[in-house]
Amino acid sequence: MSKNNKHDLPVSRRFFLKGMGAAGAVGALATLSGCKDAGRPSGGEGWTPQQYNVPGTWPVQVRGRVPIDPNNPSIVRDDRKCILCGQCTEACKRVQTVEGYYELPIKDDITCVHCGQCALWCPTGAISERDDIDKVLAVLADSSLHVIVQTAPATRIAIGEEFGMPAGSIVEGKMVAALKQLGFDRVFDTNFSADLTIMEEGTELVSRIKGSWEGHPQRAGGHGHTPTALPQFTSCSPGWVKFCEYFYPDLLDHMSTCKSPQQMLGSVAKTYYAKKKGIDPGKIVSVAIMPCTAKKFEAARGEMNSAGVSTGKPELRDVDFVLTTRELARMIKRKGLDLPSLQPEKYDSLMGEGSGAGVIFAASGGVMEAAIRSGYFLLTGQNPPASLYNLSAVRGLQGVKEAALEVPGVGELRVAVSHGLGNARQLLDQIRADKQNGRPPRYHFIEFMACPGGCISGGGQPRTSVPPSDWVRQERIKSIYAIDATIYQKRLSHENQEVKDLYADYLGQPNGELAHKLLHTTYTDRSAQLTAKIKA
Amino acid sequence: MSKGVLVDMTKCFGCGACTVACKLWNEKKYDDVNKPTLGEQAHLVDINWTVVSKHHVTDGSGQPAWRFAKKQCLHCSDPACASCCLVGALRKTPDGPVVYHPDLCVGCRYCMVACPFNIPKYEWEQSFPKVSKCQMCSTRVAAGEMPACVTVCPNQVMTFGDRDQLVKEAHKRIASNGQYVNHVFGETEVGGTAWMYISDQPFEKLGFKTTVPKESLPAYTWQILSKLPLILVSWTAILSGIYFINKRRHALAADKQENTGGPQS
Amino acid sequence: MTINGNRISFKMTPFRLVLIAFSVIFVGIVIYRLVTGLRLTNLNDAWPWGLWIFIDVKLGVALAAGGFTTAGIYYVLGVKKVKSVVKPAILTAWLGYCLVGFGLLMDLGRWYGWWHPIFSWGEHSVMFELYMCVLLYTIVLTCEFAPVFFKGIGLMKLSTFFTGLTAPLVIGGIALSTMHQSSLGSMYVLTAGKLNELWWTMLLPILYYVSAVAVGPAMVTCETALAGRFFKHEWDHEAMTFLAKWSGYILTFYAVMRLTDLAMRHQLVALFALDTVSLMCLLELGIGSILPLFFFWGYKLRGKEMTKPMIVRNAVLMVLGVALNRGNVVFTGMAKAAGENYFPSAGELFLSVGLLSVGILLYLFVVENFDVFPEHVQPTGEQKEQVPPPKAAACLQA
Repeated sequence: MSKNNKHDLPVSRRFFLKGMGAAGAVGALATLSGCKDAGRPSGGEGWTPQQYNVPGTWPVQVRGRVPIDPNNPSIVRDDRKCILCGQCTEACKRVQTVEGYYELPIKDDITCVHCGQCALWCPTGAISERDDIDKVLAVLADSSLHVIVQTAPATRIAIGEEFGMPAGSIVEGKMVAALKQLGFDRVFDTNFSADLTIMEEGTELVSRIKGSWEGHPQRAGGHGHTPTALPQFTSCSPGWVKFCEYFYPDLLDHMSTCKSPQQMLGSVAKTYYAKKKGIDPGKIVSVAIMPCTAKKFEAARGEMNSAGVSTGKPELRDVDFVLTTRELARMIKRKGLDLPSLQPEKYDSLMGEGSGAGVIFAASGGVMEAAIRSGYFLLTGQNPPASLYNLSAVRGLQGVKEAALEVPGVGELRVAVSHGLGNARQLLDQIRADKQNGRPPRYHFIEFMACPGGCISGGGQPRTSVPPSDWVRQERIKSIYAIDATIYQKRLSHENQEVKDLYADYLGQPNGELAHKLLHTTYTDRSAQLTAKIKA
Repeated sequence: MSKGVLVDMTKCFGCGACTVACKLWNEKKYDDVNKPTLGEQAHLVDINWTVVSKHHVTDGSGQPAWRFAKKQCLHCSDPACASCCLVGALRKTPDGPVVYHPDLCVGCRYCMVACPFNIPKYEWEQSFPKVSKCQMCSTRVAAGEMPACVTVCPNQVMTFGDRDQLVKEAHKRIASNGQYVNHVFGETEVGGTAWMYISDQPFEKLGFKTTVPKESLPAYTWQILSKLPLILVSWTAILSGIYFINKRRHALAADKQENTGGPQS
Repeated sequence: MTINGNRISFKMTPFRLVLIAFSVIFVGIVIYRLVTGLRLTNLNDAWPWGLWIFIDVKLGVALAAGGFTTAGIYYVLGVKKVKSVVKPAILTAWLGYCLVGFGLLMDLGRWYGWWHPIFSWGEHSVMFELYMCVLLYTIVLTCEFAPVFFKGIGLMKLSTFFTGLTAPLVIGGIALSTMHQSSLGSMYVLTAGKLNELWWTMLLPILYYVSAVAVGPAMVTCETALAGRFFKHEWDHEAMTFLAKWSGYILTFYAVMRLTDLAMRHQLVALFALDTVSLMCLLELGIGSILPLFFFWGYKLRGKEMTKPMIVRNAVLMVLGVALNRGNVVFTGMAKAAGENYFPSAGELFLSVGLLSVGILLYLFVVENFDVFPEHVQPTGEQKEQVPPPKAAACLQA
């Protein structure tokens, strides 16, 4: 056939085939000769931290990051700033023993105690508190609302750092002045409710100890208002509380039923203060300035609406907004206030008085020391001896601290203090083992703080070196004890006149009926939200 | 030896480190509002080569639970995208990654239509868009390193290694722990993929496309394409034959016409 | 400047002004698109292919099948009675492929690299095969139309040269068309698991090819009917009847194959599920196959001579049927896999409409100035005033 064809159209056929083949030949040649070089493949223009650039499948020790639920009320993460340095995981896993202490697969919860230590360890600030400044600014702008604010003990010795002052600078009055200039209607002191906490928690401790003497040491779980299990655990640190709910729910009856100072002030503000001042509780917005990210979670806990419940409006929160020390610093900067140059002002009355015992809540061992001072009084009816005003055994940065003291007519009171949740585990595992083996309790009272060093180094405090150094912690602690020793007039919670007035005018007795309604709380067994592991 | 990654979805707690590693290594931008990399709304887009999607499921004890599924290109053993690329811009490397070469790409997007898992995405906002998909850190793998997402995982959700070994490892894990669904996703899907998954949840509940064919897709096309040269040659020959027969017939008819005189039609 | 000894002419009518307006918009959109990318489209990751691929590629190529089918019928099979339609069919096919090429270029995200496939072969890709065939076939069509062009501008030697090439060009053209018409179907073989089973079959390439062979002459019939109306050409009933029969038989083959395939893949239940997908499929089969075959065999079995309205109606139905079929593959069948809906943007619509307008204008220009319609079809005798210049016939104020 092609012969005939060629005969018909000899030249043109060849021409045609040439035309068809020319481009193809070039392509084929290019393909075969390797000119098909594709150029640079997509991707790989960036970098990863050095530890990840290892040949083969060598293990990488420090890696990844902590999981953070997007709905976490306390902390958020900006992925754009995350460099996968792995430090948050180090803090969470090795310091706080949270990550890695539960089995995988997870359940319907991303285990987090909201302590915010990861935020302090984060070198780029990718992890930080959930920013609630705008919400607070919105209520401040609403003149129909009565916005009150409380400041935690640890804020006054840290916020100065945000304004160039040395670590541990005491700026209590200046901070109050700044808050007033920001437009808060009343500035209250969480020291006041720390003293109130001591009254409640000390009374509870005394009744637990007395209950054990009366021969009910095994009344675990507690009936009525007062559980009797010993040792009693402090409940001021919401990170610690959630940690216990997750990992040691069997020990929750040791947890003091007292709310934290933040929540006590919140519920008193919308009841006692509202009543005294004749303000509609629904018009009061309660803001708290805290060194802590977990306080945001605590304020959002469902049961934290005692004031609302008692005034018939359960939708009211005891504390509406919690800002960290860092957020307050940002607010002050946004307003253009130079904190160091402000004229100090005083806290407002009704809930503005605080004792040295209240302020030392900020440091690890402080709650214990404050409780011992007033506990001594509650047990003996006398103020403690001078040695108990400087209980060095429970001060400092040692992970677990112990003390034993003779209370005249009562006997030996044995206490322990831990800070950092990894340290808490030591005590908790010991208590668990003792209980399982039927051994009597080693301690009467244990103070637990979620953060290393206590609130002074809380997850919401000004950022320091990474990881936070003990030097900064110590500077802040020194200032806290200096306030107690040399600045405040009173050093005993039970001498706080405003607290006394509160009981006299409103609450009645510590641990009384109304006190229980407003100042005490319940806990949640969270063991179903994870499969806890004893060891990582 | 072709490399692969075995993903054990029971171990993932959704930190999203892998997604960040991907962004760092490949210099991809973030858009948390419209294109999140983590959570219920997370899905692969041009700037997200890998995402961790969150799924609400019921666990073995009947309790509500969350599972996280790391999604990225599965790097098929016989990739449809690479087979269908008319310029060879997508290629399966001997190491395992299916790699995209933007300099060659003309932007026809056939790869997007062809991909059984809808993986390749497009830079729709760009003037001269590129196809966008996970490269399995081909340059890292070529250098003997693990893909960035694998190496950063705090829970070792992902295991990097020879694909053949990983298949064995996957079955070993399934056999040794009753929690797993007895299926290795990616072992046989579309003829096998470099990335494989094991899970305690049915895969379709975790957003996996389980209806894909078991056979390699390019094999379908090849059944047709491989026959084309033969068809081309024989069809040309047949047509030429018919042409000449008709030509001759007409010539004869014309001769006859001349002989008999006068047209016939 | 003259063509065929006449001054270049292009008569303005309101219809043409509208086309020109569309073309001006088209040029604007093209420039915008080439500079800014595909932002003006409604395409997204779920719908990487949309209107342009459907109209410009899938449908355009199928409807331009008239070129190779009529050329094949005339030159290869030696059916001389279709002579009158061959040149116009080649012209429309050539214009069609130029538009297809341009449409494809518009769809390419990195359009400046359109020549890459020539040097970097994706030899396992249907798209590569399609690209090569379309590229070569466009060249072939250009050569096939070259004699008319060169004759028009007075280069008789070149005209004769290309006339001499006709036979290999036609045969090569048919081979290339066979390849790429079927490839349009093969393209979707790779979408196994995505494309709805009502359309996905290994027979896709054959179905596409056969339907193209059937619809090509049908499209030529439609074009002839339209052109005849506008240019007052005589209706070449003999040629048209042949084409109608051709389409009828081929379509019968197609329909039998399509339905058998559906039945053998157990898709008849899905076909009558009466959901959106099934209804679209039924519509496609009804309009494109059942109705025209009903009419065709109705005439055939009763031994009736086909009439012009019946031929045109059947041709229109078949064109619609193929359009529905291609549209169903691109849109209806892929909708579930896409998971969301797609509707073309104004930019996409105007670009496609504009492209068509440019095509029609070019067609009108060529037809009015070159010898496309053979003299013997031209009405002679009583309408003498129209005889020498074909342009005089170009009155579209219908």
